[in-house]
Amino acid sequence: MLFRRIYQFLIVYCLCLVGLLGIKQVLGLSDYVIPGVTLIHSTFGRVSGGYFLDVLNTLSVTIFGQIISIAMAFTVGILGRKSSWAGSFIKVMAYNIQAYPIVALAPIIFILLGDGFISRLLIASMICYFPLLLSVLGVMAVPVKDIEHFYIATGRMRWQLEVKIRAFENLSKLTTVIAGSATLAMAGTIVAEFIAANAGIGYSIRIALYQSDLAGILTALFYIGIIISVYQGMLETLGELVKTKWSAPKGGELL
Amino acid sequence: MSVKPWEFRQWPVVILVIFVLFCVSPVRAGAIKVNYRLKWLFNTSVAGDILAVDQGYFKTAGLDVTVKEGSPEKNAINELELGYADFGVASADQVIRALDKGADVVVLAQLFQVNPMQWIYRADRPEIKVLGDLKGRHIGITFGGNDETIMRTLLALAGLGEKDVRLSGVRFDFTPFLKKKVDVWPVYKNSQGVILADQLSREGEAVYFFNPSQFGVNFVANSIVTSGKLMKTHPERVKIFLKSLLSAWEAAMDPVNAAQVLAAVKKKDSQTPDDIQQKQLAATRQLIKPDKGIRIGVFDVGAWKQTETILLNEHQIKGPVGIASRLIAQERL
Repeated sequence: MLFRRIYQFLIVYCLCLVGLLGIKQVLGLSDYVIPGVTLIHSTFGRVSGGYFLDVLNTLSVTIFGQIISIAMAFTVGILGRKSSWAGSFIKVMAYNIQAYPIVALAPIIFILLGDGFISRLLIASMICYFPLLLSVLGVMAVPVKDIEHFYIATGRMRWQLEVKIRAFENLSKLTTVIAGSATLAMAGTIVAEFIAANAGIGYSIRIALYQSDLAGILTALFYIGIIISVYQGMLETLGELVKTKWSAPKGGELL
Repeated sequence: MSVKPWEFRQWPVVILVIFVLFCVSPVRAGAIKVNYRLKWLFNTSVAGDILAVDQGYFKTAGLDVTVKEGSPEKNAINELELGYADFGVASADQVIRALDKGADVVVLAQLFQVNPMQWIYRADRPEIKVLGDLKGRHIGITFGGNDETIMRTLLALAGLGEKDVRLSGVRFDFTPFLKKKVDVWPVYKNSQGVILADQLSREGEAVYFFNPSQFGVNFVANSIVTSGKLMKTHPERVKIFLKSLLSAWEAAMDPVNAAQVLAAVKKKDSQTPDDIQQKQLAATRQLIKPDKGIRIGVFDVGAWKQTETILLNEHQIKGPVGIASRLIAQERL
């Protein structure tokens, strides 16, 4: 799965690069607008080391941000799963907070918290959190009647059990969403770095943009793609392991 | 009896009338469509560009000009090459970098005779009278921006290394300067500089501006550019555009027309308070026309060459681009 992710990314990246070079040739554009192969190659050699470390820096924030957003989404999803007044209040509140574009809130965050690690973490988790919340709410708000009925009828149903049943019955959906949200967390971190941070690959892209250095931006995109593919592939592999371990074997039964 | 739209048989006549009206309308009749991309948002520092449209300078010259705001993502030189813009505003470093990468761009006029990119600092700190006075200061720079290049050049001239000063990355948020976390803050003197100075004066604080050109570093700022291709194929259009634009700038920088200019700017930038805009206009005047005898748009060729040398020394370009040959003096048009 990991290698499939990487070569899929490489295919897409190469196709886009070929497309760009094709446009350059057809329109006769200079290296200033679209860099040529030589310039891309020399820029790659010049900035690779620094950009690779920058992407790792971004990835570290991404991972923390994703963990926080998963925790937030599950907390709100579990609290808001009931159709009670409190449940719907939590849901409405969670939706309303998300109604503000993060890019508009980001300057306030940076003014209050500065441009360090915490601001990047907060913005990354906020961008990643909402799609996760929607999925968690979708899973947690729908009863698994066949199983839950037994526990309700025997008076053994507790909220923890209800959450476990719904989570395990939708394990595949949840692991897919969590793996997919890695991209959002990465995008959130890069947005935060681009707007105002002083570290990470988003910050390097901003500098490259100031200098109209598209070759630098292409190099940054390459490393972002590779690293996110590896991270997402690892999450998917982990998800498969969890599913294999915790799901009932096919044709068998849970003891 | 009402007629349904699909039963109305005169549609061809209506369409023909609309087409004829469209073709003979004053704008269409002979007016040449031109796109002009600015470097930044509409504000007082582009007063001349705003006035050119507002007071019909372009229209009188037979041009139908659309002036578009700029941003770091909307690079005028890229747009010239892609055909989205016919003219644009770019700083000297952008022009030189573009030439270094093979772009076909020429410079028609240098708008700012003094670079508005300067540093502001509180007057309760000792005045920076010689470059050595930068030692020990906490200086803000935009990493990757031209202020970084300018500051590094100044530090090199002063013989100061990174350990002699403290450099911090800055953005548009002034909080670190207002909270005194950073001593010396980069600003565009005629826009942000006016706002910050005003804000601090309300708190009873006076400010100084640190102007690199007073220390021998003349890094050229905004200039009007076009593509070499347009220059060759439509020299008359270039000439007309430049003539009408520079006439508008001359009028905009004349204190007699201040009220008219501010009214035109207000239409485009309604957020900035009137008193600030007045101060911004005065500050812009000092940078564009520092002396009454200076004709707007003239090139400070020495400053252009110095800008090229700085970029070369900072390894931001591969080799010399011969910038002087790309400066098209008005007389040559």
